[in-house]
Amino acid sequence: MKKLLVLAIVLRLLVSAFLFHPDIKTYNFQASFLKKGVVNIYSYLVENKASLPLKDEFVYFPLTYFILGGYQMIASGILGSGFDLWLADAGASSVVNNPNIFKYLAILKFPYLILDVGIAFLLLSYFKDRKKGEKAFTLWLFNPFTILIIYIFSNIDIFSVLLTLIAFLFIKREKFLKASVFLGLASCFKLYPLLFIPFLFLEGKDLKEKILVSVIPIFILLVVILPFWSPAFVQSALISGLTTRIFNPGFVIGFGESIIVGFFILSALFFYSWITDKKINLFNYWTVFLLLIFSFSHFHVAWLLWVAPFIVISAVKRPSLSLPIFILTTLAVVIPMFYQDRSMTISLFRLYTTWYDLLPTPFVVLQKLYDPYNFMSVLHSALAGGSLIISYHILKEEKE
Amino acid sequence: MKKMIWFTTISILFMLFIMPAIMASTIKMTPAGDQPGYGPRRLSIYGTKELLQKFVSKEKNLTAIGTTVKNPNLKNKKEVILNLFDSNHNLVRKSILNGFNIGDGDFVKFVFDVVPDSTNKEYSFTLSSLTAGADEIIEVFLVDNPAEGIIEYTFAEEVHQGGIPMVTFHKPQNKWEVIRKVYSNWLSKLLFPHSQKTE
Repeated sequence: MKKLLVLAIVLRLLVSAFLFHPDIKTYNFQASFLKKGVVNIYSYLVENKASLPLKDEFVYFPLTYFILGGYQMIASGILGSGFDLWLADAGASSVVNNPNIFKYLAILKFPYLILDVGIAFLLLSYFKDRKKGEKAFTLWLFNPFTILIIYIFSNIDIFSVLLTLIAFLFIKREKFLKASVFLGLASCFKLYPLLFIPFLFLEGKDLKEKILVSVIPIFILLVVILPFWSPAFVQSALISGLTTRIFNPGFVIGFGESIIVGFFILSALFFYSWITDKKINLFNYWTVFLLLIFSFSHFHVAWLLWVAPFIVISAVKRPSLSLPIFILTTLAVVIPMFYQDRSMTISLFRLYTTWYDLLPTPFVVLQKLYDPYNFMSVLHSALAGGSLIISYHILKEEKE
Repeated sequence: MKKMIWFTTISILFMLFIMPAIMASTIKMTPAGDQPGYGPRRLSIYGTKELLQKFVSKEKNLTAIGTTVKNPNLKNKKEVILNLFDSNHNLVRKSILNGFNIGDGDFVKFVFDVVPDSTNKEYSFTLSSLTAGADEIIEVFLVDNPAEGIIEYTFAEEVHQGGIPMVTFHKPQNKWEVIRKVYSNWLSKLLFPHSQKTE
């Protein structure tokens, strides 16, 4: 196991240092203002937009700002004096031609490595059966998908994912109050864990516990975000496109009303579990909910991490699902590569050379042969169909 | 599980060490340098108003010239012509694009047949859109500071130092040359003295 862990860490460090998505520089530039004493980053960025070299808004929640900014303070000695200049550099070529970039990227992504390995150990302890735990541990560390999602796209969602997994470990031990605390903490990074509250409510032992497990996560979130409440925070973080996109897809039913697919799935699963299940398996409902959400929305590749540990657990619990899950995960990772966005593919390799700017994206290449949107629709439909059947299988198995 | 360990290890190493070579092998031309910075100053090209730009080709096998072009409101749907001349003002190459394919603010490459012996030679080109009217202009930017190889430009019969933020592109000798340069660029950064050390 030790050798495997070392190999897993080496692979992760290599990907961290050599592949570059510009988001990591943008949000670390914003987080660097903590060193200068800025507490409310949202209003600071709006007020100083004209004089800042990078104009983007801070789209994450306050806890992300303090953790990233705090980490930069701790690591500033290793990062060196040129680091802040690099962060503020708006030049497309000079950023990747900086000879220190490998060091910067490896250090900036190092916290993800700790959380990532932490998830592996949580998965190891999730199963009573040691063999199953080791299988989950290995599967988490050795699948190319999570390595790509975490280390290429510098995925901040890993904070939420780890905390949500801890919440599920408490749920497994029927400690719902503790679970709700961790769900609340997880929602301080990304809002999606709040979607689990309806299921936690159903599982509460009595009315008092039902109310507590529903209120605690929201209360924790409010305590963290209320001091920063401002139009700037609401616009850039709370109702940003990334936060709300999950509930965008829908179909019109007339007179200005539409059925929102995300809420439809949530509601259907909630009522299904309420009406038909005497003893709800929360793990299954959460896995099925996330699978279906990704199947019916234009997801960001980073979101796939939300479901990743649960998929690993499902694959270990039900070995017959391993291959279908592998195929569907491949589909889910491939779809975003055909978005009309260079930074999903070609630009990730700009650190090797900026000559890659001359290459067409997979979208453009495919365009010469076939409509890329149709192609993505075919892949997404296959993902949706497969996920639907796996979801059915998971829920049906629970009944038996 | 062993299969998954092998699959992951091989696919990650492939992506990091082999994929860059595969991508490099598909590069058909390489730029001689980065595009120089430019400011808000622009020249409007239409009808008989054309730009004449003198420059030095830094490398052999000159095969394209690229610069940023504005096509306000995408109104220009006429021919945009680049004529390349040698130092004696003999026409050596011609490249024609349609304004329909030029977005507002695009980096546009005018590609032509390779000029083999172009190393350190002075050339000039004209950029025009002869059939475009005053409401169908295209615009090119001007560099703020002197840039290597961009000598002077002529517009409205006036000659000025500098010119447009242009990049010359050159056909590589072969694929291996591009692959070698990509890896040596990457390694030169990685092995840059003290670059990965703590200060």
